[in-house]
Amino acid sequence: MERFRAAFINEIEKMYKKKKAIVIVIISLITIIFGQLMVIAIRSGLGIRGVSSTDFPLLVLSVFVNTILPLFTALVAIDIFTGEFSHNTMKIALTKPISRLKLFSAKIAAVAFFVLINLLVVMVLSTLTGFIFNPASINAIGLVRIVVSYLVTVIPIMALAIIIIFFSNVFRNSTAVFFLSIILFIAFKALEFVFPQYSSLFFTSNLGWYNLWISDAMPFMKILRQLLIMLGYGIMFFTAGYYLFDKKDL
Amino acid sequence: MEKVLEINGLTKMYKNGRGIWDISLDIYRGDIFGFLGPNGAGKTTAMKIMTGLMKADRGDVYIFGHSVSSDFEKAMEKVGCIIETAESYPYLTAYENLRQVSRYYSNVDEKRIDEVLEITGIHRYKNEKVRNFSLGMKQRLGIASVILSKPELVILDEPLNGLDVEGMVEVRKLIKHLAETEKTTFFISSHLIHDVELTCNRVGIIFGGRILNVDYTENILNNYASLENYFISEVDRNGKI
Repeated sequence: MERFRAAFINEIEKMYKKKKAIVIVIISLITIIFGQLMVIAIRSGLGIRGVSSTDFPLLVLSVFVNTILPLFTALVAIDIFTGEFSHNTMKIALTKPISRLKLFSAKIAAVAFFVLINLLVVMVLSTLTGFIFNPASINAIGLVRIVVSYLVTVIPIMALAIIIIFFSNVFRNSTAVFFLSIILFIAFKALEFVFPQYSSLFFTSNLGWYNLWISDAMPFMKILRQLLIMLGYGIMFFTAGYYLFDKKDL
Repeated sequence: MEKVLEINGLTKMYKNGRGIWDISLDIYRGDIFGFLGPNGAGKTTAMKIMTGLMKADRGDVYIFGHSVSSDFEKAMEKVGCIIETAESYPYLTAYENLRQVSRYYSNVDEKRIDEVLEITGIHRYKNEKVRNFSLGMKQRLGIASVILSKPELVILDEPLNGLDVEGMVEVRKLIKHLAETEKTTFFISSHLIHDVELTCNRVGIIFGGRILNVDYTENILNNYASLENYFISEVDRNGKI
């Protein structure tokens, strides 16, 4: 456990020092401000209310989870595996007294930490923005809905990240993995519309599972089914990704 | 004598037909073992397998009695190594790079980090990003990270690459000092015969992926004018040139 911890802290430090994480937070902030400006424009231009202060973070999440967050997660996940292999820095950790399973798990845990922090930052910023621009409509239940929505979104994003990490261990080129991830993401999004009856099986459809958590009558069985599908994806791609990581000769 | 490193029938074949065949070696505590061979002889392949960077087709490596393939963490606990090139994270400072390494060991504190930076002569660049370092400075940082945890076995692949004459002399001195004072065992690969002659007390010759012979430097120099003569004679005797 000590060595897993060491590898996890190292990965977080590297992420932070690369400044990529800070850039991502800044982009997230710009997105939120842009979103709020759009809402204001709709309100003043068309005379419609737009969204309340507690709805605004959920509106941001619905856009964020389907666009920028998967993109950022892909960037970080690819960097942590393919990037290190191609820059030859992977052997720094691989020659230390830590098993490949622990190192692989620590790297995935670091990606999960990044996803969680990114979601929390967006949650806090969007809630504050919503509150500043529309202070009248804030309430406790609304806040709980926001927190739950953002927290449960970590799971589908991590299922997606583990799939990307699998491809990061298949290909040696970061750009190839990045574009493959984008193409697969768009393809599965399109398939959701072509085959709506099977859409719940596609990993991209799970990104909106937070909606199930905040619906009026919480559908436990549906939540459980989607959770099991995501776990299935996670276990399969974790195992396949680790197999490739472990067998890789440097 | 305590066996520190045991290599048993190590074989690795590449698709191009090159590789290493049935390499077996025993390294004992206090040895400064020179792994001598020309470019492409299989030195790095053997060392990559020894440090877990590569999997062997056959055979295994035991470090302090622990198998590298099945008990990697235990095997690497008291090992420091540089394989091919001394890598470091360019966006971190020298200090941060060493702190990354230190987290894997319980016996390394801030004082020890300063100590190794001092030993390798890069203390004044402690807080500089490694991307601004010259090749020689990166090599020194690599050596600093290797000795950071006071390892009992040090595996170095071409450790003098990129160093100037002063750096070479210092590293040679450091190797001898650690071997004498801390009984650190060294396994050093090199294609520089003179360098091996000056540094190592045991020499193994690898050629075409096979070990030709292993002997003590003292014995070799009693029978041959230089290590170079011995190397040529061994290669010739085995009908390779």
